[in-house]
Amino acid sequence: MSAEPFTWRSGGCHCGGVRFEVALPQEVEAQSCNCSMCAKTGFIHIIVPESRFRITRGAERLAEYTFNTRVAKHLFCSECGIKGFYRPRSNPDGWSVNARCLDSLEGVTLNVEAFDGQNWERHAHELSHLSREPA
Amino acid sequence: MTRQLVGHCHCGAINVVLETAKTAAELPLRACQCSYCRTRGALTTSDPAGHLHLQSAPGAVTRYRFGLQVTDFILCAECGTYVAALSEIDGALMGLVNARGAQLGGFDEREPDPMIYDDESPDERLARRAHRWMPATLVEVYPNA
Repeated sequence: MSAEPFTWRSGGCHCGGVRFEVALPQEVEAQSCNCSMCAKTGFIHIIVPESRFRITRGAERLAEYTFNTRVAKHLFCSECGIKGFYRPRSNPDGWSVNARCLDSLEGVTLNVEAFDGQNWERHAHELSHLSREPA
Repeated sequence: MTRQLVGHCHCGAINVVLETAKTAAELPLRACQCSYCRTRGALTTSDPAGHLHLQSAPGAVTRYRFGLQVTDFILCAECGTYVAALSEIDGALMGLVNARGAQLGGFDEREPDPMIYDDESPDERLARRAHRWMPATLVEVYPNA
């Protein structure tokens, strides 16, 4: 199988202090989760392997919040509070990027599916392949 | 009858009580389309005849301003949740709640009204809020005091 073509796309928080880039294919699978955390933040997940994400500015401005198992590292800009990406519990070897924080979705087809995070243990395995690095 | 719609940020450091004579179903639910609210997927509500009580643990509030600089977005410094917005209008503190951030009950499954306020001047913005937002207070509360 030939490698899928990825395009590096930029995004950031609201005040501009934190910037990132994520490599995305043209068609992107995304999740809208109903767990206690995601319901409050309105986070739309694009989960990618480690190699397809990089922080380009403001790592030192990130605040970290953890709860429950404390595996997920919820990161947000300490200035404007925006959570553009974080280490998800489902994929601690990768990143979850907030589709709402990308500068532009032009040329990207975003397929948002509901994820039942209220029953996380039953469903988390459905996401584990998303952070797998290509062989 | 006055009722209280209650909520809080994710970690519980900021509590919200919306005092109103209305049910959640009778209150508006708005999806502001500004750059900040879209990033948050904010769903806001207010009752001009009610009162908004915000209680925070000491030091738990981060205030964020942008654009016209007339609004304080009230964020939890601990968990990052956007719970409410406050604006001082003619010496009075007015506010609204982000029903999504505070997880106020009774708003699930509601379709919000999209709102676009981009063309407002600062005066027009405050005039609109003076009759649409609600009187508000924000106090720090010491746990077990």
